[in-house]
Amino acid sequence: MALKPVTTPDTEAATISLSIDGETVTAKEGVSLYDVISSMGKIVPAMCYHYTFDPFGSCGMCLVLQEGKKSPVRSCTAKATEGMVIRTDGDDLFAARKKAVEKHLSVHPLDCPVCDADGHCELQDMAFEHQVTDLANAKQKHIPEDTRSLVLDFNMNRCIACGECINICKDVQRIDALQFMKKGGFTQVVAKGDHALDCEFCGDCLAVCPVGAITNKFSKYVYKPWQLRKTTTTCNYCGDGCQMYVETKDTEVVRVTSPLSWKNKWGDRVDTINGHSGLCVRGRFGFQFIDSKDRLKEPLIRKETGLVPTPWIEALDTTAERLAHVKSRYGSEAIAGLMTARCTNEELYVFQRFMRTVLGTNNLDSSARYGHMNFVRAVHHALGINRMMNTSADITKAKAILVVGANVTETNPVASLRVKAAIGTYKASAIVVDSMQTNLAKLASHPAMVKPGTEGTFVKGLVKSVLEQDLIDPDLASQDPQALAALKAAAHTISLETVAEETGVPVEMIQEAARVFAEAPRSVIVCGEGILRQHDGYDHTLSLIDLAWVTGKLNKPGCGINTFAEEGNEQGAVDMGVAPEFLPGPEAYEQATARQKFSEAWGSTLPDAQAGKSLVEILEDCRTGKIKALYVVGENPLATLPKSFGVEEALSQLELLICQDPFMTETAQHAHVVFPACTFAEKDGTVTNQEGMVQFVRPALDPLGESALDWHIMVGLANGMGHALPYETTQDIQAEIRRLLPGYYNLGQPRPVAPDPTAYLRNGYAESVDARYGVRGRTQESGRPYGLKLIQLIYHSGKLSTKASGLMDISPNTGALRMSLEECERLGIAEGGRVRVTSDQGSLELGVQADVNMLPGTCAFPEHFNDPPVKDLVRVVVDPVTRVPYFKSTQVTIEKL
Amino acid sequence: MDTPAQTKRFLDAVLFREIWKAMKVTFKHMLHRPMTFQYPREKRTIPDAHRGALGLLRYDNGQERCVGCDLCEVACPSRCIKVISEEDKSLPLQRYASEFYIDITKCVFCGYCVEACPVNALAMTKMYEYSTHDKRTLLFDKERLYDIGEQHLEDAKKYLYAHNQEDDDEESRAYRYHFPQPIGKTEAPDS
Repeated sequence: MALKPVTTPDTEAATISLSIDGETVTAKEGVSLYDVISSMGKIVPAMCYHYTFDPFGSCGMCLVLQEGKKSPVRSCTAKATEGMVIRTDGDDLFAARKKAVEKHLSVHPLDCPVCDADGHCELQDMAFEHQVTDLANAKQKHIPEDTRSLVLDFNMNRCIACGECINICKDVQRIDALQFMKKGGFTQVVAKGDHALDCEFCGDCLAVCPVGAITNKFSKYVYKPWQLRKTTTTCNYCGDGCQMYVETKDTEVVRVTSPLSWKNKWGDRVDTINGHSGLCVRGRFGFQFIDSKDRLKEPLIRKETGLVPTPWIEALDTTAERLAHVKSRYGSEAIAGLMTARCTNEELYVFQRFMRTVLGTNNLDSSARYGHMNFVRAVHHALGINRMMNTSADITKAKAILVVGANVTETNPVASLRVKAAIGTYKASAIVVDSMQTNLAKLASHPAMVKPGTEGTFVKGLVKSVLEQDLIDPDLASQDPQALAALKAAAHTISLETVAEETGVPVEMIQEAARVFAEAPRSVIVCGEGILRQHDGYDHTLSLIDLAWVTGKLNKPGCGINTFAEEGNEQGAVDMGVAPEFLPGPEAYEQATARQKFSEAWGSTLPDAQAGKSLVEILEDCRTGKIKALYVVGENPLATLPKSFGVEEALSQLELLICQDPFMTETAQHAHVVFPACTFAEKDGTVTNQEGMVQFVRPALDPLGESALDWHIMVGLANGMGHALPYETTQDIQAEIRRLLPGYYNLGQPRPVAPDPTAYLRNGYAESVDARYGVRGRTQESGRPYGLKLIQLIYHSGKLSTKASGLMDISPNTGALRMSLEECERLGIAEGGRVRVTSDQGSLELGVQADVNMLPGTCAFPEHFNDPPVKDLVRVVVDPVTRVPYFKSTQVTIEKL
Repeated sequence: MDTPAQTKRFLDAVLFREIWKAMKVTFKHMLHRPMTFQYPREKRTIPDAHRGALGLLRYDNGQERCVGCDLCEVACPSRCIKVISEEDKSLPLQRYASEFYIDITKCVFCGYCVEACPVNALAMTKMYEYSTHDKRTLLFDKERLYDIGEQHLEDAKKYLYAHNQEDDDEESRAYRYHFPQPIGKTEAPDS
């Protein structure tokens, strides 16, 4: 671990100068010599080096000659020092490097023809480059292939012991699931303890393997790299927006790789703050849904016999006619639309324009309503911004990170690496508040395990503790004395003892956490579904803003409040105005000037300022019959919301339900019209990640069957209703977005945000803060002892990933309730035992699975599956301000059967 | 007008000189061996290095030599080969070609694919009779290619010998790729 980043935000390393091939270069002291050479643009061959982890120095290729030393030195492990004289080229070095390649090749099988890495193999390239033609004393290892893992096969005959897989797992992923082991006379890479590999299956080891020693089970032997067409696109699973290459052969997706697989080894350790360009398990192995057999291939219209395949023209015509009929008979108010945040910005934009101008209704919403909207509304209200405040670089460089209710390693695995890097590489303190033992809690300096649903109370406790210990930002007293006084008065009503009792975290721990957070020069808050999708999520987000404000972490560089988005383009859905309260921008819909601007641009009047209904209200109005037609694009409210919410009943009241989806979802089965839509791999457009970067989505395949792009269908419907939308290509839509939202694309770079709480603090803050504080107790005191949580798994994202056979192989629906070992023992449940779980909403029998990460008193079930229907045990509570439906947790009793 | 030319013509007519001339050629041909032969009934002897129809070969135990490496596909200058490879379900960890097509109408018989083949699974034979009423049958699939290889096994071996690819069966075994065996078959999966 000698070569940790020499230049951190806190310490600047000394500048030195050295001579390389007669040129004098300057560098930071302590940097790897390899980095210095590569920064000059010289390429020294290397197989075991990658800039994201410490040099390992096993391949022996990066040899250079240092003046004063007899034999060549390995430049990767050598540190650059003042006055070095280095030669990187020459016949003697070529011969020495050739010898190193020969050494590797002499124990490497020449099975290139059957190897999946053939053509994409660093050893092959090196052998070719160094003209290795003759191998004396070659021998074979004859090691059997390790196929025990579900995802990866380890063929250790091909291993060159470069250690890249082990290093990336340890230093970047911080999972440490692989190790070297001497077995059968050879050093081999095996899963820890020589068991079957059981990890997060991010596949970064597969990506960095320079040879074919680690291969992918899902595409084993079916391709050669040169046969595949690489399409650079953006992953659609979560809001991290990882860049990936979808590699296709004819009409099928063969594999997914990332820039890490085609790695550029040349970079500085400081560059690692921008990520390692890898993927997570979902992105890398969850591609099978794209060309799945279950995809819808033609439009369906409900006739007496059920849903009948119908030609596009007829389907669009009929639908447009029926929409026009509903509009003329019941008025625009009787139409509503829901859209998934997995669509591109352009589609979301066309959708809201279609709903607002063609149908004339402001009843529209996206899946960002399920939680992300709480964050957006809170920061919009308080700070005048619309997304998270920090970049991933800020998070990496933070000195203290408060992670509240965010199991980011499961929901946003690649963004979580920034938090892990902050903890591991830059030694940041981390306060992890969660009701489960998350992966981050295991790494954190201050893990605070709270009772389920009390994350918000803990935040209030932190605010209280900051006030008590006088950790208040000194500037506040002069800037906003009234607001500060109001907060102090509001916090007066709670005591740390009650918070400690509520949350189950000792007072000292809260005090300590408050000190760590307030005293660090750069503190970052990351909140997640544990706050945003729980009761009073909006209020809790405001409390987090209080905390950042009172400690002075709102406006300082490198500080801020963040959340990671759950679905691919939730931020884009907000920015494009797919919500009744927002116009594109997002600008508040109530603002007359904003409405005026868009109504002029679109040449059409917009619905009234008070007209819009959000997701929950739309479904309620469907049930009462106020809404007669519902246009659902990629959403699936029937499977997402608990049964007690009555979605099925609501949908059955509709006169016209239009579903547009790549798959036959539960909602689509009730539809009158089903349009086959494309997946992201067939689309062209952009998505906005949680950081505000607008990234490209490019088509890797032609649309499957007769499926069509979402916006094509909307434009088709608009034409059918006699209100043509002026779009022929995606570029037309982009041009319009550019015109109306100048600088939105911003060349793919996040636009800096400037949070400004002044207006919020001076207008009505005192009244609202008073209402927010005061421990109200846990929302459902029903006397039921266990907190049931619907959790997210790293292997899944929403319901989409359950269509990917690879992810279902890795993580099938076990149908079992996850409980801690102690709790299982206490209830006397053996492995595979069954229990009856009862909540106020009902009762159901299911299996039990011991999970070491659960705390006593809690149990959990993955929200991605609905068999058995655990989510039906939960009652939907709607946020009074943001209308976000909360249905992620409840209290239950558990009886052994 | 009696000229020598007329006399010559007269003599030619009387003595049937043209016929004698023609018969001379005929009799000459009666004395040496015929140049042509009766094609479908008689066939020409073909040199071992002849580049005829491509066939796929098996090992002595009947196992397919082809490992589905796709190298013939890239070597082919007329792009007439298509290989679809996958893992052999019956023999775990073994790669094989589940489908193999050669569009013989596009093939230019250059023999590059045979040279590219690392396990000498492809060979050219002396078979050259493709005529058919249906052009579609000229897209040889895997089954047909193995048929050709089986029917013309000796020719194929001679071809490989003539092109310095494989001297004998001994050498074919040396080229054979042995896939590693899976481990952990007997071990219980760890939980």
